[in-house]
Amino acid sequence: MIRVAVGIEAIGVYAGRASVGVREIFDRRSLDPSRFDNLMMERKSVGLPCEDAVTNAVNAAKPLVDALTEAERGAVEAVIVGTESGLDFGKPISTYVQEYLGLPRTCRSFEVKHACYGGTAALQTAVALIAATPVDGVKALVIAADAASATDRDSYWEPSQGAGAVAMLVGKDPHILELDPGASGLYSHEVMDTLRPRADLEAGDSDLSLLSYLHCLEQAYRMYERRVDGCDLRSTFAHLVFHTPFAGMVKGAHRTLMRKVTGASPADIEADFTHRLAPSLRYGRQVGNVYSASLYLALCSLIDNGALAPPQRAGLFSYGSGCASEFFSGVLPPGARARLAAQRLPEAIAARHSLDWDDYEQVSDLAVHRMAGVRDHVFDPEPYDALYRKCLDGRGLLVLDRIKDFHRAYRWS
Amino acid sequence: MDAEILALLRRTVVTVVPEIDATEVVPDARLADLGCNSIDRADIVTLVMEELGVQIPVGEFGGDHDVRSLVGLFGAYA
Repeated sequence: MIRVAVGIEAIGVYAGRASVGVREIFDRRSLDPSRFDNLMMERKSVGLPCEDAVTNAVNAAKPLVDALTEAERGAVEAVIVGTESGLDFGKPISTYVQEYLGLPRTCRSFEVKHACYGGTAALQTAVALIAATPVDGVKALVIAADAASATDRDSYWEPSQGAGAVAMLVGKDPHILELDPGASGLYSHEVMDTLRPRADLEAGDSDLSLLSYLHCLEQAYRMYERRVDGCDLRSTFAHLVFHTPFAGMVKGAHRTLMRKVTGASPADIEADFTHRLAPSLRYGRQVGNVYSASLYLALCSLIDNGALAPPQRAGLFSYGSGCASEFFSGVLPPGARARLAAQRLPEAIAARHSLDWDDYEQVSDLAVHRMAGVRDHVFDPEPYDALYRKCLDGRGLLVLDRIKDFHRAYRWS
Repeated sequence: MDAEILALLRRTVVTVVPEIDATEVVPDARLADLGCNSIDRADIVTLVMEELGVQIPVGEFGGDHDVRSLVGLFGAYA
């Protein structure tokens, strides 16, 4: 069998248009300030009431789709959305995404779910579809897209609930990341650590989730090490990129993995963290946890901010509560940074509108109308008109227009 | 056995968070109340399991544990 390179050809991020400071959340909610440093977060993106997982997905993917030629667009034979923010038990949000992106009807369309692992499940599915086809030029569009459910006020979840999505075009010209075929370590089992049992509820046991993440990281890495000859945690990967619920958790997980696998000293581990992992956390510290997209936002952060001398191998760890995990790897080709730089992500993140507290509370209250299960609603931005005008109006972004008999209709802002 | 595990837990707490006085690690105390953040708590539990040479299913750590229940849990697997 001839080995064909498959991976991410292009990547796009929607990081929201509004944000709030994490320090302010701690102050306003009287959260224990000693836990602030532990999060290693500065801001988080906030979705406006007319933004849901569909608009986040489309707004992340539209620049990628717009850049395709007509022939290339016609070659997109799969649109796969990884999400834990589905809107219907039967109808996947990929149907809306396909429609509003103008993708061809000659296309597979489906949604996959496994909490924050959903984006990786979608990516690996797409990579397998592309690797398996003998047809030249076929592409798949993978989007990891979520929207927070009701703001979990007065809890330590609230500071990290972010907003956004990452879209990835998968094909045989992997300009962003070429995945190492078969190089995956897997570890999954049943555990009830974090959950979204209702459209308006995110809940969980943070200690249990953290322990589960640590355990899965070690076990998935151990399987990767058994599978890939000559693998060495310190030398095989020039960079590491982990699913990032909050940056402090990734730092703790790296420390535990390095201690267990390499026995390195605390000083060595700290230096290794700064060199190999910290560049992947810069965007997450500003945007918050974007659920299934979080690992891929971290990948963008690495490509924009890491000391890249490509081609270099990156080790990636994906974790989804419940739980499923995968440690896998890929090579960053020369040119990856230049291609991502065209997206001007640092500028987009910096350009988000900084919400004052009353606005944050208002948009949090109004978010209930965009949740799964809403039968009828008209999304009139009038109650937050000034915010709508600053953040969305005239920007050509997709927003919710109305829901009628559960059917969502969207429009361009 | 429990006394030994309690002593091990005390040593581990102080290793991870040196600001904590070992005498405060008593059965009714909760690690969070003593000043251990969530990452400290995960480190402590992981290090104690390593020291005991046991791997306790992570699901067992669900819920709200005090020092007494943690020692009991470690003891059940040690």
